[in-house]
Amino acid sequence: MAVTSVSSRSEAPPPPGFFSRLGNNQALLGILFILPSLIGFTVFFAAPAVRSVFISFQEWNLLTDAEYVGLENYQNILELSFNPLESAAQDSDDVLPDDFDELARVQVGGGGFVIGARDPRFYRSLGVTITYVLFNIPLQTVLALGIAILMEKAANSPLLRGIMILPWLMPNVIVAMLFIWLLDPTLGVINIFLQQTGVGQQGFFGSPDQAIASVAGVNIWRHMGYTAILIFAGLKTIPKSLYEASRVDGANGLVQFLRITLPLLRPVLVFVLVTSVIGSFQIFDTIAVATEGGPAGATRTIIYYIYEQVFERRINMGVATAASVVLFLILVSVTLIQIRTFQGNTSELADYS
Amino acid sequence: MKRRSSLLVILVVALLLIVTSVSAQDAVTIRYQLWDGNQLPAYQQCADAFTAANPGITVQVEQLGWDDYWTGITTGFISGEAPDVFTNHLAKYPEFVALEQLVDIQPLVERDGVATDIYYPGLADLWTRDGARYGLPKDWDTIAVIYNVALLEAAGVDPAVMDTWTWNLEDGGEFQQVIAQLTIDSNGNNGLSPDFDPTNVAQYGFVPDGMGGAYGQTQWSPFAVSTGWTFNNGVWGDEYYYDDPRFIQTIQWWADLNLVHGFAPSFEEVSSLGASTMFQAGNIAMTMNGSWMIGSFLGSEFEVGFGRLPAGPEGRKSMFNGLADSIWVGTQHLEESWAWVKFLASLECQSIVGQSGVVFPAIPEAATMSLDMRAEAGVDVSAFVEQANEEGGTFLFPIADYAGEISTIMTEAMDAVSLGTARAEDVFPDANDEINDLF
Amino acid sequence: MTAISQTKVQERQAAAARRFNFGSAITWFFIGLLIFITIFPFYWVVRTALNDPTALFTHASELLPYNPTTINFERVLGLVDPAPLIAAGATNISPGTINFWVFLRNSFMFAGVITIGQTLFSSMAAYAFARFKFPFRDVIFFIYLTGLMIPGIVLFIPNYVFIRQIGWIGTFQGMVAPFILMTPFAVFFMRQFFLSLNKDLEEAALLDGSTHFGVFWRISLPLMRGPLMTLALLTFIGSWNEYLWPFLVGRDENLRVLTVALNIFKSQTPQGMPDWTGLMAGTVISIVPTIILFVFFGRRVVDSIQFSGFK
Repeated sequence: MAVTSVSSRSEAPPPPGFFSRLGNNQALLGILFILPSLIGFTVFFAAPAVRSVFISFQEWNLLTDAEYVGLENYQNILELSFNPLESAAQDSDDVLPDDFDELARVQVGGGGFVIGARDPRFYRSLGVTITYVLFNIPLQTVLALGIAILMEKAANSPLLRGIMILPWLMPNVIVAMLFIWLLDPTLGVINIFLQQTGVGQQGFFGSPDQAIASVAGVNIWRHMGYTAILIFAGLKTIPKSLYEASRVDGANGLVQFLRITLPLLRPVLVFVLVTSVIGSFQIFDTIAVATEGGPAGATRTIIYYIYEQVFERRINMGVATAASVVLFLILVSVTLIQIRTFQGNTSELADYS
Repeated sequence: MKRRSSLLVILVVALLLIVTSVSAQDAVTIRYQLWDGNQLPAYQQCADAFTAANPGITVQVEQLGWDDYWTGITTGFISGEAPDVFTNHLAKYPEFVALEQLVDIQPLVERDGVATDIYYPGLADLWTRDGARYGLPKDWDTIAVIYNVALLEAAGVDPAVMDTWTWNLEDGGEFQQVIAQLTIDSNGNNGLSPDFDPTNVAQYGFVPDGMGGAYGQTQWSPFAVSTGWTFNNGVWGDEYYYDDPRFIQTIQWWADLNLVHGFAPSFEEVSSLGASTMFQAGNIAMTMNGSWMIGSFLGSEFEVGFGRLPAGPEGRKSMFNGLADSIWVGTQHLEESWAWVKFLASLECQSIVGQSGVVFPAIPEAATMSLDMRAEAGVDVSAFVEQANEEGGTFLFPIADYAGEISTIMTEAMDAVSLGTARAEDVFPDANDEINDLF
Repeated sequence: MTAISQTKVQERQAAAARRFNFGSAITWFFIGLLIFITIFPFYWVVRTALNDPTALFTHASELLPYNPTTINFERVLGLVDPAPLIAAGATNISPGTINFWVFLRNSFMFAGVITIGQTLFSSMAAYAFARFKFPFRDVIFFIYLTGLMIPGIVLFIPNYVFIRQIGWIGTFQGMVAPFILMTPFAVFFMRQFFLSLNKDLEEAALLDGSTHFGVFWRISLPLMRGPLMTLALLTFIGSWNEYLWPFLVGRDENLRVLTVALNIFKSQTPQGMPDWTGLMAGTVISIVPTIILFVFFGRRVVDSIQFSGFK
């Protein structure tokens, strides 16, 4: 394949010497190149993160003296207790140890068992978060991929791309407020439309069954164009010649999509998936504005739980950091699984070059 | 000899410090925060008057909306950037006391002989614990009924009924009768008619201001307390009574206004934009809210009136809540901050605030000014003031530790009842156990 | 090509065109739907902003602004005094105004400085991760990645305390410090693009005697112009919309950014409600600069993401 004109402007060979040797020492260069970012990372990410891990073994409100409590914070949020039931209707207080509350009940025949947790709200918030991610990610990614392909194939217009990214230009907090206004059961224009078309009034943020899906919907609205642009940038890196070659070979659109587009998009798709899954697990702004974790805890995601520990309690930093460590470990595992599954480190484009 | 010279050094340094601190006093600026933008002009006026009287001290008044206010205060405590003086709330201050972030001003009150009995009775005591005092009262609020004048007229309801109406647990009393009369379905039948269709309501008689979490300040607390129920075993209580049958029945009645009778919009509908907005849309006849919302309701696109709460078995009861100004322990200017707090709590500043009409100041004379100012504008807000002046007409906000935890537990339970997914008698005994286990 | 194969190709193209007509109808329907879904909430922002502030809730369901007026924009910008409106009984009018030109300047400075620093330093790091071999390279990269997974709330408090300890609260450097050197996102983003860049060019230049830095600066970065500009634009807009940090660090009016300035239209009291018409007018005002920016640069950005290494 031909290369661009850049290389034709060949450089005069620099005199061999100290700088040249320095300039070709990859280890030193690597470190020099990452140095500014390394400083930023160490000061504003690593240091507070490491400190948080220490705090997670303490009972501390950041103001008075800290007390080392070992694993107590972790026990408080994580510890479960399984207790057999004599009858399905038995009150869980009769069988659960002190300090435990009912998290779930499993019925087996006439009896069953009840699962208790020291802090059922933590586990429920994990459940809520995972539900949110499952609503948010698949739909958002598929939509974004579709939009990106539409942008490239059918309507390669800057105007369309400009329109699609519009929602992302609006600040999070304002988006959440706007949708309170749009989705309100009585005054929101979307609900008025739904009533007039016979679909009927929907609770959206106010309904325990719809709240988390509504939050996901709002965030899909805000992010799908943005994600599509990222994928579109990736699509643009796929050489047109590959499509032309396969068209001559008689491949139809679907085959091209599966054989060329998807494999070559892999690094970008992995990037999009990894970052949006991580972002999705950390959903907070929309919830803080639109639902405050309600109704009845239906939108208390894990970050909201952590927020409550700090700002709605006596600055329970120990519990908040312990929960953060747990979330961090979950995210690392999920990310590793994604990267392993998709082997995002290598691009197949290299094979074509 | 050596000791003497070091003593000398200490003396000189001390003298220097005194001199510099005296000269520095010329330019002391203290930061003061409040959340209500509508009160900002009045307090800025107070700050100007204060600086005029104390030329050495400037007050920088900062206003942040309620949502961000407490995040800012907490972050300020942690980082050492909190304002010297700030408006404090009864639901928040016990936590700040536990975190040791508020200055105990009792010694200063005693030193300067500040009178704490010039306020409405009880207000100053709300800010004390075990002999310590954490703020001087600035204003108070009570609850009243807000109604849409035109809708009452159309339904033939005389607002004067609110001067005498009653409420009880069995059938909701005259209060519920009036609500029913004001609720009209799409066929034009009102809630008293046997043909009333609760699934097809065109105009609701009443919109509750949500479920109200742990306190129900503008929601169920007037009813629950009028049955003789109390939140807990007194100020700074450590035992809650959310398992009391009177409380449980009141809450179920409150939820059933929607769930059973259809006289009120569902809590799903109320939860997003809020009751005051729904009321302002103009097709709901009545709501209940606090006196700090007067200005907001007067901004409705139609004429509104303010009526008294219904009288329950034990009389009319409104929560009596008051704000105060507190000093942060991290302040570098304790004396100046204290001078400012004293001024905020004085008749001079409270008169300025009273004349603005935005809230009712803690000193009765200043509160009367607020009432008069509204009256001059042709608005009768006496329902709030009469409630405060009535013998036994108020009960105090239930100050206690662990407000955050209590609020989380009760909000979840309340939500479940309001949405009809649980019955009050099933959730509140458990919730109450969870709360009492905190102490 | 022979005549036979030419006709075959033509037939195939004709068939494709027939399919395309049917397919394109569906395609355009979807595009139209997407545009509608994307635009409608924006329309509602504008519609609310143009609505008469004294008749918002009683005319909530009308598609057009009721009694259209520009007074909301004027009062938000401080061109008219809102006091008469408040006295006339408009709903929840905020007395506040936006000091537009000052806040606009602040927003531009804040987002601009972050964008330049973050894009440059993150690209350098990304290039190192994609191209150089140095000890612990993949470990360091993975640790960077984990930076994305740390809940912001546990970073925010220690960082705020740190900024205060070095005396940067209420300063511009305090506002930009946590963002200017890197974000894991930016490094990850650029690395993915550097990885998909053909190495041949760089290797050829190295054989010609260029230094690694020379290759990075004169060959790789220009080839990455598209992704680079995309990242810069994304960073700029992301920083423009940053809220909690500039809110707490840049307290003073002469540092306040537009997003933070919108606060005065949110509800100020418990049970209160936002000044909707003011908030929506303020929102329009605060996002117009980013829209203009996107119109100007977005086109060049997205169009320039063509894989320059190939023809």
